[in-house]
Amino acid sequence: MNRRNLLAGLLGVALLIVSGCGSDVAVSGSRAKAEPPLPAGAEVLTSPPEAPEAPSCVDPTKSLRPGPLPAPNALPAGSTMADIRAKGKLVVGVDQNTLGFGYRDPADGAIKGFDIEMAKQITTAIFGTPKALQLRVLTSSQRIPALKSGQVDIVIRTMTINCERLKDVDFSSVYYLAHQRVLAKKKAKIAGIEALGGKRVCATEGSTSLANIASAESKPVPVQVSDWTDCLVMLQQNQVDAISTDDTILAGLAAQDPFTEVVGGSIDDEPYGMAMPDGHEDFVRFVNAVLEKMRTDGTWTKIYDDSLRELLGAAPALPPVLYRD
Amino acid sequence: MSAPAITRPAAPEPPRPRGRFTEVGELARTTPGVLTILAVGLVLVSVLVGVLTAIGVQTRATALDDLTTSSGPLSVAAQDIYRSLSDADATATSVFLAGGEEPADQRARYENDIAQAESALAIAVAAREPADVTAQDSPLATLSAKLSVYTGLVETARADNHQGLPVGAAYQREASNLMRTELLPAAEQLYQAETVQVSDDQDSAGGFPWLEVFLGLVGLAVLVVAQIFVRRRTNRVFNVGLLVATGAALVSLLWVVIATLGVAANVDQSREFGSQDVDQLAQARIATLTARSDETLTLVARGSGAAYEEDYGKVADRLTDLLGDAREGAINDEVRGHVDTARSAWDEWRAVHKDIRSADDGGDYPHAVDLTIVDGENGAAARFDQVDSELQKALALTQQRFTDEVSQASNAVTGTVLGVILLAAIMAAGSVVGIWQRLKEYR
Repeated sequence: MNRRNLLAGLLGVALLIVSGCGSDVAVSGSRAKAEPPLPAGAEVLTSPPEAPEAPSCVDPTKSLRPGPLPAPNALPAGSTMADIRAKGKLVVGVDQNTLGFGYRDPADGAIKGFDIEMAKQITTAIFGTPKALQLRVLTSSQRIPALKSGQVDIVIRTMTINCERLKDVDFSSVYYLAHQRVLAKKKAKIAGIEALGGKRVCATEGSTSLANIASAESKPVPVQVSDWTDCLVMLQQNQVDAISTDDTILAGLAAQDPFTEVVGGSIDDEPYGMAMPDGHEDFVRFVNAVLEKMRTDGTWTKIYDDSLRELLGAAPALPPVLYRD
Repeated sequence: MSAPAITRPAAPEPPRPRGRFTEVGELARTTPGVLTILAVGLVLVSVLVGVLTAIGVQTRATALDDLTTSSGPLSVAAQDIYRSLSDADATATSVFLAGGEEPADQRARYENDIAQAESALAIAVAAREPADVTAQDSPLATLSAKLSVYTGLVETARADNHQGLPVGAAYQREASNLMRTELLPAAEQLYQAETVQVSDDQDSAGGFPWLEVFLGLVGLAVLVVAQIFVRRRTNRVFNVGLLVATGAALVSLLWVVIATLGVAANVDQSREFGSQDVDQLAQARIATLTARSDETLTLVARGSGAAYEEDYGKVADRLTDLLGDAREGAINDEVRGHVDTARSAWDEWRAVHKDIRSADDGGDYPHAVDLTIVDGENGAAARFDQVDSELQKALALTQQRFTDEVSQASNAVTGTVLGVILLAAIMAAGSVVGIWQRLKEYR
């Protein structure tokens, strides 16, 4: 009896030691912390991107005066347009992430929007049919390299005309005038860029918006991503406080999240132009002629109504068109 | 054995009444005293040799047991986690590629992949200490913390897609990025760790039994020395008890040597025909899955897919090499047949991939998507499924060979521990009886 008690006691002590050790380990290691994921390529910029050292150029929006607009089957031999027609397709660099301008419709996987309709008009002017249009999706930072390497014939992708870009590519006349503003959560009650000092503000890599955020007086912290929808993801995941870019893009994002709103006044004018490789003057004049025709015959307004009216309301006054010669 | 008392050996030495030695000291100097000490010593040696040998054999048996119940299955579980996760991501992205509401079978495939990954993960977690799982940046911590984040992102993408919101695509890309930069590397790390564990277990199960042989020889040597001593002291040539003890020691030594050498042979086989080939095939399968998700992600990213296509090129070359290695290392014709079929499906797939790339680069995106995801004889999806399923069959057969060899090895050590202990007991008993025989003669 005595011995059995002793045995039981020893067993009890052993059990205590064993179980004591076990719980120690489990408790000390159980402080897990969630780490929200980031979109691929997202980066908080500690040093601002190359400052927009506005190289002096006289009004960058002044393009080349429109040339004649020949019928598709009467393009002048040896012209850029004739070469494109001979190739059988017009390759256009576009966006697939901006609701309204260039976006992938999840319902059928097709890319649609205002920029795509513009591309169809140019294609029709060269080929007589929009079927020869070939879309190539580009991120903001890929636009100029794609033009320089000849991957695309023209870029129609919410691209702001500015002096710096004019050094590398040629622009058409302004086909849309946007304004940089701020998108934030309604709850946050942010008045505009002035209220974003020290807060994280998102824009895409290589965009003029990112440079404008970095140079804003209130000193926000710029966060760069590859696509505009990545900014919305980060806003929804509470990783940035606001998004700042063109009101057109912001309206597309706001339409996807009813808890956000576009706030504040215009930070900067963003005149959109179609970008073409340097040294194809005939093509620029041809495109400007197509644009001119669209403005005057009501096509521009019709495309606006079809693609953007729902998002942006009634069509704004057409931007003034200026030519340098 | 009747002890003939014909010639009494020298009578106990007359005590030397010096009074300076204790009684025990004096006793120890007498022949009966020496014999008693010898008996005690022999019993101690027998017990020590028996216990240490049994522990040595038991360590081996435990390593073998690990191979069949722990490290072996865990390396399979780790492989399973990798495969399921990778397939889940490839499926989710290709569903997205198709546009519109996802086909029910594709959605089911994704859900099954996630269920499979979670169940394999539970197995892997259960086999580890809590500290392993909670340690920061350990592969299991990453996997268990991030898998639910991944599925959350995929569901967000799906909900957005159903409402026609382009932001769904951004969530899908974020999910894929999480999978490729964190989950899959963690799964691969886990697989590597388990493979190292298998190799370690094979080392400790299949090594030469140096300790056991040394102990056996020590036991034998002590018994021989004891017999020479007894013979000199008592002038008897043979002592049946000690002979039996020596026999037991010899049998024990031979048993342990034969059993462990058999184990070593089996373990070598399991290494050569099992784990090495399993690893090759598993690597090939991982490369297959990576190539597939590179292919689909290139199309999903459209503009920014160049990095994926570059990765595809690297993975494709590696896969070709791995399939060549797997063919050479195939354990039998059946496995070789599966690897060959996988190889020819892979060649066809590469050809389709070329078409996909030229369609996409040439601007015919819809055709590229068709070739990539639309099921059918000529699509990349069917080729990918074929490569994957052939590799999986080859893997299952090779895995079976590994398990067979290990369980044969396990059988070889079965009973050895008990035998060693019994023989040690016989050794001890024989020694005691043998020496008691001589001691009796002094009465």
